[in-house]
Parts: sequence; structure tokens; C-alpha cells
Amino acid sequence: MAVDRTSRGGRDVAPLNDWQARLEETALTPVRQTGRRFWAVVAILLAIIGWGVYAYSVQLRDGLVVTGMRDRISWGLYIATFVFFIGISHAGTLISAILRVSHARWRRSALRMAEFVTVVALICGASFVIIDLGRPDRLLNVFIYGRWQSPIIWDVLAITTYLTASITYLFVPMIPDLGLFRDRLAGRSSRWRGWLYRTLAIGWNGNPAQWRSLASAIGVLMILIIPIAVSVHTVVSFIFAMTLRVPWDSALFGAFFVAGAIFSGIAILIIVMAILRRAYHLEEYATEKHFVYLGYLMAAFAAIMIYANISELLVHGYKLQEGVEFHFRQLFLAEFAPLFWFYLLGGLCAPIVIALVPATRNVRGIVAAAILVTLAMWIERYFIVVTGLRVPLMPYEPASYAPTWVEWSLLAAGLAAFALLIALFTKLFPMIAVWEVAESREAAVTDDGATRPIGEGPRLAEEASR
Amino acid sequence: MTTAVRRSAGTVAVALAVWALFVGIAGPAIASHVEATVTSVGEVSVGETVAIPVALHSRDGTPLAGTVVTFYLHMAFAGVEGDAEIGQAMTDELGVATLAYRPRLAGHHELRLEYVAAGDGEIESTSTIIEVTGGVRLVHSPAGVDVPGVGVELLMAVLATVWSILFWVVLRIVAIARAGGQAGDAGLEARR
Repeated sequence: MAVDRTSRGGRDVAPLNDWQARLEETALTPVRQTGRRFWAVVAILLAIIGWGVYAYSVQLRDGLVVTGMRDRISWGLYIATFVFFIGISHAGTLISAILRVSHARWRRSALRMAEFVTVVALICGASFVIIDLGRPDRLLNVFIYGRWQSPIIWDVLAITTYLTASITYLFVPMIPDLGLFRDRLAGRSSRWRGWLYRTLAIGWNGNPAQWRSLASAIGVLMILIIPIAVSVHTVVSFIFAMTLRVPWDSALFGAFFVAGAIFSGIAILIIVMAILRRAYHLEEYATEKHFVYLGYLMAAFAAIMIYANISELLVHGYKLQEGVEFHFRQLFLAEFAPLFWFYLLGGLCAPIVIALVPATRNVRGIVAAAILVTLAMWIERYFIVVTGLRVPLMPYEPASYAPTWVEWSLLAAGLAAFALLIALFTKLFPMIAVWEVAESREAAVTDDGATRPIGEGPRLAEEASR
Repeated sequence: MTTAVRRSAGTVAVALAVWALFVGIAGPAIASHVEATVTSVGEVSVGETVAIPVALHSRDGTPLAGTVVTFYLHMAFAGVEGDAEIGQAMTDELGVATLAYRPRLAGHHELRLEYVAAGDGEIESTSTIIEVTGGVRLVHSPAGVDVPGVGVELLMAVLATVWSILFWVVLRIVAIARAGGQAGDAGLEARR
């Protein structure tokens, strides 16, 4: 066993090789050192959140009339952002689970960051539903007057389950690394940090019984999390698809939403990885290969999204029911045309071109593609919500909707909260899955000498097979 | 003489004030340029298509051909009342416009017919009432689809399974903690 388990809290003494020492040092550095730049970023993010809190207080005081939402377009920026955040929450759990199940070894450097993104995005997304309620106390009505027939109830159940499973899925593989932090930072960090790592490491010392339990827990979780994640976004799509509105009248909505969620999730993961790579000098672990592979994955999902769009638009356009013509006109030719064409060309076609052309198939190119996808997918969510409600149900003039400063402020605050929570996570928890990256390295070294199937790290696979 | 003048002036002033008040409250009088006659259709049943003819004539009795008549139904839904447009028809050479109307709900249907008078473009309207009898409504949609075996119980079973598996994972975490504790105790024993 080349991977040294002593670094994970084991009591045996064995020398660490240089590579692993460097890996552990890289993981520990963000926790040990915090520069002025970090605090400056935190201050800016807190200022934006503070402004958002003020905007929310205005909304609480005056009611939802301070937003652009009215009786006919009763969902707007908030619900679009909720759908967007729930979508990007698929970054971590689903992507990491799929890559684990498919034994993609290159995934290991991206895993932990992806799982962070999931938990944080879910928290931010759920808060937008409460913001949209206007009066947060009415959340209780979901539980007091909720009906099983309502997709809202399914949504609450699915998101609660997903959040619990995602936190568990983030925590379980992190236990050995928390043991590492507990041991390496013992006596060198503040008392509360010592207490935190001691508590969360739950007595990890890397004995075989612990590895066996860890392997079985991860094995079950990575299978379980996939149907949960799929169900979450399917149920989110049901909120629209089960409402009698022409543009939402689609049996494809569930699959469309899930594909879009994974698509936007990959894009956000690439952006977060690029920022953390630059901020914490992770070039050795988040390499160009990781970005290019994620870029390929993103391009594949872009192709799926193009297919889904063509299928959806062609079927609706061929039948052209009353209201569809109006909907198509507003999307392709009228009010929303510039942004909708940006979504189609910039958000769906461009990422494929960027991933395929050798000149752009690098970190910068893939990050640029990810930014395009993120913007395009937010726009798509906005269009699903707003243009769907804009199609008149009776012969009256279509309603108009424009977000107010309160809504834009709360959107900015939500994004700032997302960034702040990710930043704080990196200062508290190991953002690299140290033991998994080490196992990956060991497997790669072993592969150089002898051919062996690509799979989980040798130790975990060994324990899981028992 | 002076007193008489004063009285007269006062009377004129009061009369003007009363006239101004009347004009202010009542607004300008609008003279109708069109005479509309709606033929009563009496009682109809839910789902039965009924023709509602309206004849438009000018004051001198000339039929008004080519005038568009818009038919509105007074409706109340979820506490909101208003007129919903149910159709349009154009008058023929006899000045008659007919709308084929199929009531979907039983009850007292109040229709407003709106048309534009020729010449000065004033919008005028008239109304008629139809009593609709029969079943409560033409279309009755059942709430949702009843698939045997698919219901709350299935949803609960799926949720219970998922949460049971999560609970099993929690037990694995407890096992990790206990294994760590036992190893720690064994290490302490060995050191002693």
C-alpha cells in the first residue's frame, strides 16, 4: 500500500513521500493562512448581502408590490433564480456520483468542490422560495394546509431529502480528511477549530473496520443520490408542467429540466474550480485535463439540450395551438428575441465549438464556455417562468414584467451568499479530497508498471469487495 | 327697485349654481343615435346553442348594416366580477347581428351588447338576459387521474425507503465512530 494512511490519523509511523506531503500541505494551506485579499472579498460579499437584507426589509415592510410581479405574472426573478440554483446543485452530488459510479479516475480532484457547490446551491435556492412568498410566515401553510396532490408538497419533500442526502454525501467521504486536519492542526489552530475537527472526524484513525464502513457508506450513497437528484429537478419541473399554461404543456419538461440542471451544474463547477485553482494554487491537482474533460461533459450535455429544444419547439410549433404562436413570436422575434438567440447560440452551440476546436480547448476556453452556459441557463430559467406566464389566457393584452431594484438586489445578494459560503467552506474544510487524490495517484503509478482495471482506489475497492 | 334687482340677481345665481351642480354630477348627456332591439330568447338548456339576434336601426328606422356588435357575458369568478367577451357579429342588410351562444353553466346570464354608432363613433350598448336551465355545468372534469395503486401510499413508501437507506448510512457513520473509539481504547491498553 503506497498510500500512507498515517496521515489520516493513523497511529502507525511511516514516512510520507514528497508528493503526498505536498498534497497535504496544499490542502491545509487555505486553513492555515488567510490573506488580506480573502478578507477584502468577504467584505465586498458581505456588503452586497447587507444591501440585499435592506431590500428584503423593504419588501417585508411594503409587501410584494415593491417587485415587478403582479396578478398575471406572479412569478419572476425569484422563482427563476430558485430553479437556477436547484439546477446548479446538481453540480456536485449528481456529477460526482455519476463519475464515481462510472469509475472516472480524473474526477477525484473535482469531487469535493462539486459537493460543496451542491449543498451551498441548495441552501441559496431554497431561500429564494421563501423570499418569493412575500410573507415568510406563510411557509407554514405548506405544512398546515398542504395537499398530497400538490407538486409544491412533492417539491418540499424532494428538496429536503436531497439536501439531507447531499450533506451526508459531502460529509462521509470527508471523514478521513477531517482526521488529517485534526492531526495536522492539533495545537496549531484555534481551540474552536480543534474542537470542530475532533468532533467531525468522529474518531477516525484509518483502521480496517473504519475503511470498510466508509466504503460501504460511500457505495450506497453514490447510488442513492442519483435517483434523488433526478427526482428533485423532475419535481421542480412539475410545478410548471402540471399547471395549465400553453408553454409549459409538455411531457418532456422533467427530462429537459434534469439535463439542463446537470448542464448548468457542470458549468458552475468549472467556474468554481477555476477560481479556487487560481486563488489557492491548485494547478497540480486541478489540471487542464480536468477542465477539458469537464468541457467534454458540458459539450455532451449541450448536445442533449439542443436535441431537447428542437424536439420541444418542433412538436409545439407543428401543432401551433392557440397561444403557442404568441409564445414563439415573443421568444424568436419580439421582446425576448436577443436573449433567447443568445441562449441558443451562445449557451448551447458555442460550448460545443469551444470544446471541439483544439485552439480553444484549454482552461481559458473551457471557463469562457462555462460562463456562457451559466448566463444562458439563467436566462433560460427566466424565460421558462416569465414568458410562460405572459401568454394571455383570455383575449386581453399581454402583461408585462420587469424586475425592480428590490428583485435585482436580492438576486445579487443570493449570488454573493453563494460565493461567500463557498469561500468560508474553503477556509474550514479540505477542499481537495486528499485521500482520494492520493489513491488516484497511487493507482496511476501502479498502472505504469502493471495493467489493472481503473476503479476506486486500491484500498477502498479492496475494503468494499470484502 | 334695488331690492327687486338684488332678489332677481340672487334667484339667477341660485339657479345657475343648481344648474352647474346638476351638470357637474350628471355629466354631459349623450344622445343615443341607434335604436337596438334584442329578441328575447327566453329559457335555454345548458349545452344548447342558441341564436341571440340584435337589430340596429337609426332613429329614422333605417337598418344599420355592417356594424360590428361585440357580445360580453357578465361573469364572477373567485371574487372577481367583470365582462368577458364571448364573440362578435356584424349586422346584415336588415341591421341584424346574430351570435350563436352555447351556455356552459346554468343560471342567470346577463349579456351586454356593445356597438359603435355610425357617424360620431360613440360606443353604445344594450343588454339582455338569458335564463339557462338544466345540469349544473356542461363539462365536469374530474380532479386528476385515478390510477389504482398510485397514491399517497406509494409516495410514502418511496420516501420511507429513501430515508431508511439514509438512516442505514448514519449507522455506518456511527460504526466508524465506534471503531475509532475501540481502536483508541485498544491503543491505550497497549500503552499501559
